[in-house]
Amino acid sequence: MPLAYIFTKLIRDEMIKLTKPVELSLFMGNNIEDNENVRSVLKIYEESSNELLSIIEVSDPIIAKNYDVKHFPAILFINNEGKELIRYLAKPFGAEIRPFIDAISTFSGDPNYYESVIKENIEKIKPSIIKVMITNSCAYCPEIITFVNKFAIASKGKIKSVIIDIMAHPDISESHDVSSVPYTIINDKKTFIGMVGPEEVLQELIGGN
Amino acid sequence: MYNIDMDSLDLEKTYDLVVLGGGPTAIACAIYAARFALDVLIVGKIFGGLIATTDIVENYPGITSTSGQGLMEMFKDHMNSLNIPYITDEIRSIENAGDYYVLHSFFQKFKAKSICIATGSERRKLGIPGEAEFAGKGVSYCATCDGPFYIDKVVCIIGGSDSAAKEALFLAQNVRKVFIIYRKEEIRAEPINKKKVYENEKIEIINNTNVVEIVGKTNVERVIFDNGKELEVDGVFIEIGSIPNSEIAQRIGVKTSEKREIIINRKSETNISGIFAAGDVADAPFKQAITGVAEGVIAAYSAFDYLKEVKIEY
Repeated sequence: MPLAYIFTKLIRDEMIKLTKPVELSLFMGNNIEDNENVRSVLKIYEESSNELLSIIEVSDPIIAKNYDVKHFPAILFINNEGKELIRYLAKPFGAEIRPFIDAISTFSGDPNYYESVIKENIEKIKPSIIKVMITNSCAYCPEIITFVNKFAIASKGKIKSVIIDIMAHPDISESHDVSSVPYTIINDKKTFIGMVGPEEVLQELIGGN
Repeated sequence: MYNIDMDSLDLEKTYDLVVLGGGPTAIACAIYAARFALDVLIVGKIFGGLIATTDIVENYPGITSTSGQGLMEMFKDHMNSLNIPYITDEIRSIENAGDYYVLHSFFQKFKAKSICIATGSERRKLGIPGEAEFAGKGVSYCATCDGPFYIDKVVCIIGGSDSAAKEALFLAQNVRKVFIIYRKEEIRAEPINKKKVYENEKIEIINNTNVVEIVGKTNVERVIFDNGKELEVDGVFIEIGSIPNSEIAQRIGVKTSEKREIIINRKSETNISGIFAAGDVADAPFKQAITGVAEGVIAAYSAFDYLKEVKIEY
């Protein structure tokens, strides 16, 4: 069975479980092929969601500037207050489907396993950005993506997660000298190479202040 | 949707069985436990375990060929079909509360009448100069993760196991040259994979050789052998076996072997009543996904039996 079929079926089977409306923003750049590549995948999510997922395409450079979007295409999870929680500089396909759907469902308001501990510690956490550099063949990456996205949602954006496919954005990986994934960077300082668990990341967010 | 339906997660409930781990063994154990109508929960740090980092799996009956990730997707679908909750977390301590155990993580605590430890193993480190210094800068423990960084480059794999052979075959698809550096006379891969390695023109085996140092400036540039010779490489993949993740078991008094593997009997029982173990973390001599699955299944059955025998309501 072709992988593309399996992955498309996975999106359809999971997105149909969405129960609340969600809106994601797709910021598009000048590269038509790249835009279309991500747009076509998001369309599968949208069409499988019983009209609960809406993808808002953004090509206004002023809005992009407001959110400091410099790499395209970018998928942003923006809450009702206009605050960005999660940014995907990666196509949510293959191994990245499940964590992406998980982020959508949690963003829609489904319960979040890490929420109570994040809330308990929110005062100790400074505004933070967690970048997770991934490749689509990395088996450990989806695990990290899943919990950092949940941290971002639980913190209402005080923690922001950025998921970066380094094959699509080699300039970002070169600027951080990345040659191994998953590669997790907190506030452009502390790095974790390889698998890291939610506890270690949260300890860094708390202890790093 | 993905990890857990939080509405179904009842932290006050005492689970019949909590399975620790996220690989095939843990999932097989949970699937059988669910079919035995046990209340089961899986708590794992890495979904998929080491098998998820395998490029091609060709020895799992019923599946001619798939990727490690593909196999785990099938496991996940099976698990989801039985509504088995899975949590990404790590249990730090376990206390015996009489009729049940209390498992503590940083985020939550869980109660369980029985436990199956299926925490698998992690890659063994070489412990030579340069290994830690160049981790993530040319030293890697996962070919499927980091292979894309080495397109048209020269890499070496240290180790001679079946996993090392499979990593070499995976990397050879895109790199210019792969050296397998092995300390013994002949690599000990499965014959079918060994044949593929020998037939692959991009792969060269250097036998009877140990790497004693990894050298470079900002990134890996070469390795130094115990015979004094050097080899220029862009990447070093270390595949010299694994160490069982048995710390949590040791902390609560579960007996382990000299290799730190949990000692189990044919029923996957440990020396502690109500605590079972299976898969790579246990002391079976041959460790494969399929054997771990079988041990996990036996552990589920033994837990079911245990709950009946000790008359713990399930």
